[in-house]
Amino acid sequence: MSNITNPDPGAGIIAEHEALIQFMYLAPVGLVQADMQGVIAMINPISAQLLMPLAPQACLNNLFDALEGVAPELRHLCASFTAPSGMVCEGRHIVLHHGGRARIERGTPEVLSISLLKLDAARLMAVISDVTEQVRRERQLKQADAWLNAILTNITDYAVVSLDRDGHVSAWNDTIGRVTRFGQDVVGQPYSVFFPEGGTTDARQVDRLREALADGWNLEEGPRRRADGSQFWGSAMIAPLPDNGALQEGEIDSAYCMILRDISDKHAAGAAAHSATFSDALTGVSNRRAFFDAASKELGRRRQSPRATSLVVFDTDHLKSINQRLGAAAGDQVLRQLAARLRATFRDVDVVARMGGNQFAVLLPSTDLAGALIVAERVRVQVAAQEPAPDGSVLAFTVSAGVAEMDDDANELTALMARAEQAMRRAKQQGRNQVAHWTPADHFQLPDLISPL
Amino acid sequence: MSAPAPTFDMADLGPHLATLRDADLDALDFGVIGFDLDTIVCRYNQVESQEAGLSPQRVLGQPLFTNVAPCMNNFMVAQRFEDAQEQGTLLDATIDYVLTLRMRPIKVALRLIALPGATVRYVLVRRQK
Repeated sequence: MSNITNPDPGAGIIAEHEALIQFMYLAPVGLVQADMQGVIAMINPISAQLLMPLAPQACLNNLFDALEGVAPELRHLCASFTAPSGMVCEGRHIVLHHGGRARIERGTPEVLSISLLKLDAARLMAVISDVTEQVRRERQLKQADAWLNAILTNITDYAVVSLDRDGHVSAWNDTIGRVTRFGQDVVGQPYSVFFPEGGTTDARQVDRLREALADGWNLEEGPRRRADGSQFWGSAMIAPLPDNGALQEGEIDSAYCMILRDISDKHAAGAAAHSATFSDALTGVSNRRAFFDAASKELGRRRQSPRATSLVVFDTDHLKSINQRLGAAAGDQVLRQLAARLRATFRDVDVVARMGGNQFAVLLPSTDLAGALIVAERVRVQVAAQEPAPDGSVLAFTVSAGVAEMDDDANELTALMARAEQAMRRAKQQGRNQVAHWTPADHFQLPDLISPL
Repeated sequence: MSAPAPTFDMADLGPHLATLRDADLDALDFGVIGFDLDTIVCRYNQVESQEAGLSPQRVLGQPLFTNVAPCMNNFMVAQRFEDAQEQGTLLDATIDYVLTLRMRPIKVALRLIALPGATVRYVLVRRQK
């Protein structure tokens, strides 16, 4: 077939080169090669299309300079990327227009996506694209998803609640009235208004908004409260609404959409199975598994945004002798009584669990040592004050408790548990029926000086 | 009659361009891209062809802002032509810009020319010193 090859081999290469150049010109995505300081060596037209409106002084010599106004972190991100090569960032979103812009020009991108690949010490490849439409579609899909969930699941009803940046209800509608019985005056209130008292904390409310921003959504089930104080089992999905640029006349500033569903029926059906897995069979409080699940979630949130977290460990006093005197059923009765007392005293947001034997633990989110001590002492006093019933349905007993607060030295659950247990052992040593809090001196106590029973 | 060769900065360049033949455009020391009311490229001179590394046959007949110079497809360039066309107003503006000629960032001055009623609009390209 050599008879049809180009008689001038140089012409073939030139044509190929030109075709390659055109291929690069027309690639519908921005491509940039720069050094690690951002100095641009190669750049294709879409990059210029996207970057020129951002670049200061109509200059595209440096990628980081061009993006300084909208993504100043890129320079640092690259500088601190110490591996010899690899992805510095992938699909990182750069929001170009925040609210307040009077008029968004037609076709002007609002969100760019940038990926940076470090090739070696001297070369960086960037892929830049306009993902405005994609972000808009995702936003619509997210809303559609939440709606579909609300509609397809077997539910009693749902409320669509728009929240502002701080998690305050930004508008009222019929669905809110129907599901929660709240009226117009709910506008401006934090969404914790839908929780029963003690069902959440300020920090937890902020956590959920942050998680929704980071993951695209946040789903949580639990007891919720209507305006008249009655409760239902609710499922609440919160999804962030991307910044939509300038507000239109009369438009409400909403940063999140919350779909609140009343799934009381569904919950009743699933509750038995759930309780078998996550509850202690004897006392009905959480079991170890549920405790460690919930605690590790709370500690994860604490790492994201530090706050006080405390733990109380309760231990019944002299249970062994109760068992010996009155029989094992009486011992079980004591444990059930204590569990009921703990549930009545602590908030819904606190995790009350039977850790085994006669030991219970309670994790208190957003609570410092002083706060935890007060509640632990309240439990101790109430337990000690309980009058025994002549028929044996209520028994007299006492508890000892140890309290510890998380700090930099005890920032893992096991360390916190160890401290609370050390304090509890000291309470026992000092005569039982008392609450002790951990002090550094407890470190030097021998662990098993006394029988835990 | 031999008029002096038009320069990039010359006043009233717009009406003058329409009178120039393709060979005249090739003799200019700046790039010339002419495109019609549907943005299809109909004139492409030698300087522009050399700077971009593309021969005229790859460019002529193609829509300018999507298939030839996507780097100009934003509010700084394309939008101004659209606005002028929509409002039937004169556009003759020179802006600093960066073109990605053969994938190098090159500082240029762009002169954007659209005359009301004219069927050909122009982007002129001069390399910055």
